[in-house]
Amino acid sequence: SLKRCLISVDMRFIEKSFQGIKRELQAKDTFQNVTVLSILESPKNIKPADVCCVTKHLLTFYRDRVFQDHQESSPQIVRKISSIANSFLYMQKTLHQCQEQRWCHCSQEATNATRTVHDNYDQLDVHSAALKSLGELDIFLAWIDKNHQETSA
Amino acid sequence: ATCVSGGLPQPTNITFISINMQNILRWNPPAELQGAEVTYTVQYFIYGQKKWLSKPECRNINRTYCDLSVETSDYEHQYYAKVKAMWETNCSRWAETTRFYPFLETQIGPPEVALTTGEKSISITLTAPEKWKRNPEDSTVFMQQIYPNLKYNVSVYNTKSKRMWSQSITNHTLVLSWLEPSTLYCVQVEAFIPGPPRLIQPSHKQCVSTLEDQASALKVR
Amino acid sequence: NGVAVLPAPQNLSVHSTNMKHLLTWSPVILPGEMTFYSVEYQGEYESLYTSHVWIPSSSCSPTNGSECDITDDITATVPYNLRVRTTRDSQTSAWSTLEHPFNRNSTVLMPPRMEVTKDGFHLVLELEDLGPQFEFLVVYWRREPGAKEHAKVVRRGGIPVHLETMDAGAAYCVKAQALVKTIGRHSAFSQAKCVEVQGESLPL
Repeated sequence: SLKRCLISVDMRFIEKSFQGIKRELQAKDTFQNVTVLSILESPKNIKPADVCCVTKHLLTFYRDRVFQDHQESSPQIVRKISSIANSFLYMQKTLHQCQEQRWCHCSQEATNATRTVHDNYDQLDVHSAALKSLGELDIFLAWIDKNHQETSA
Repeated sequence: ATCVSGGLPQPTNITFISINMQNILRWNPPAELQGAEVTYTVQYFIYGQKKWLSKPECRNINRTYCDLSVETSDYEHQYYAKVKAMWETNCSRWAETTRFYPFLETQIGPPEVALTTGEKSISITLTAPEKWKRNPEDSTVFMQQIYPNLKYNVSVYNTKSKRMWSQSITNHTLVLSWLEPSTLYCVQVEAFIPGPPRLIQPSHKQCVSTLEDQASALKVR
Repeated sequence: NGVAVLPAPQNLSVHSTNMKHLLTWSPVILPGEMTFYSVEYQGEYESLYTSHVWIPSSSCSPTNGSECDITDDITATVPYNLRVRTTRDSQTSAWSTLEHPFNRNSTVLMPPRMEVTKDGFHLVLELEDLGPQFEFLVVYWRREPGAKEHAKVVRRGGIPVHLETMDAGAAYCVKAQALVKTIGRHSAFSQAKCVEVQGESLPL
């Protein structure tokens, strides 16, 4: 499970980076009636066995869509997003090593879960969707933390 | 009742004050209307849902807080709330909170701390902070059940040597042994959760004195 | 238009100790007014997916010294490209780019400084505060033949931490090493430091 995979990821620093830009990002998100990461809001939605795969898919989602679709003018926010993006890249490498040890199996349910995230993302124009997804990083980080809890104690 | 919107300045500093998942919305009256017979109406919104919802007990109220613990009790979701002020036929525009995420933002109240002293020891017994309950007779949920990696930082201050040291524990009892007899020690405990920065409430500082050294007491007699 | 008129800085290198990273270069000596430099960085994410993006360093854009503390810019354990150019009024030099990308996992980890004290029978340790990335493996033992070592992970430096309740008349020793989980490495152990507990032997 994820507990074994992400032992060397500095969740505290990523959370602190996001904390610094959370208010600004969420204030600009005017579509309060859409949650891109709704699938993560209930622990029952994703089985422990699917956690590693969903994490990997969502890291790819942020890498290939969110961080690239978002346009940002504030240097401070650019820096924080760069910090998070590079931390996610490192997290992916760590998960990739897990993949080789076959701790990161991808079931159909895991793929469906990721599909709902992309579907929610596609409901909005790309810039609004990217902004909203950045504002929801606290949901993603809290979900990783909960599933990574044993090794972060 | 309809009113002229924007005729009044908005309430200010609208925010959720959350401790152990008791989520109370608080605000300040509009600056220029201190003392006037202003009433307020509150609405809340579950992020991702479709519409704003009302809380009947917080419609046309004259106090400046509203307990939304029930409405925001699913701590895995996120919420907004908003307030508007009304006075005679005028009302303000809505003043809205930032997005509120109880799971990440609730403050963890301090544990209850019981100290018992021995000749050269102090036994510290902690009672974990409890999650807010809808009804007093509801079963108790401890915050540790929501946050399994909740820990306690115990700080001990020796008033004679003026030395302070701390220990991080996860269980609920700690015995400080081989202390100096007849010495006043002060103990303070805070519960904390590794994770995003969160406000912490330490317990009140409690000071107790270790008992007199029986050996020297016998020599004196 | 003032492009590439000034000489570019040379000999860029990074010196990194205990997760503090310092980028240095040879100063550009020019007559007249002061010379400034601008530093920019690019993490592996930018270099792979948005290669045109370079980010101004948080503390050296601009700077007039020939070094830059890039610790707050290097915030992930991935390779970072770094570049510097000279600027003066509207004139700028070409960019000089660090020959090899820098990864913070190459930082030199030094043993932590520590203060071992006692409060009565209580062994208390205060470790150097090296920042939030650091934890410490602390090993302590009672100084006697065949003594058993005890180990404890201390999450933070800068505050006195209780290690052990000691026996009267005994001496206890402590050593510590710095751990940085985010790069999966640790320092050597510090020199051991010992304290002795006076006092009568313990009543049975």
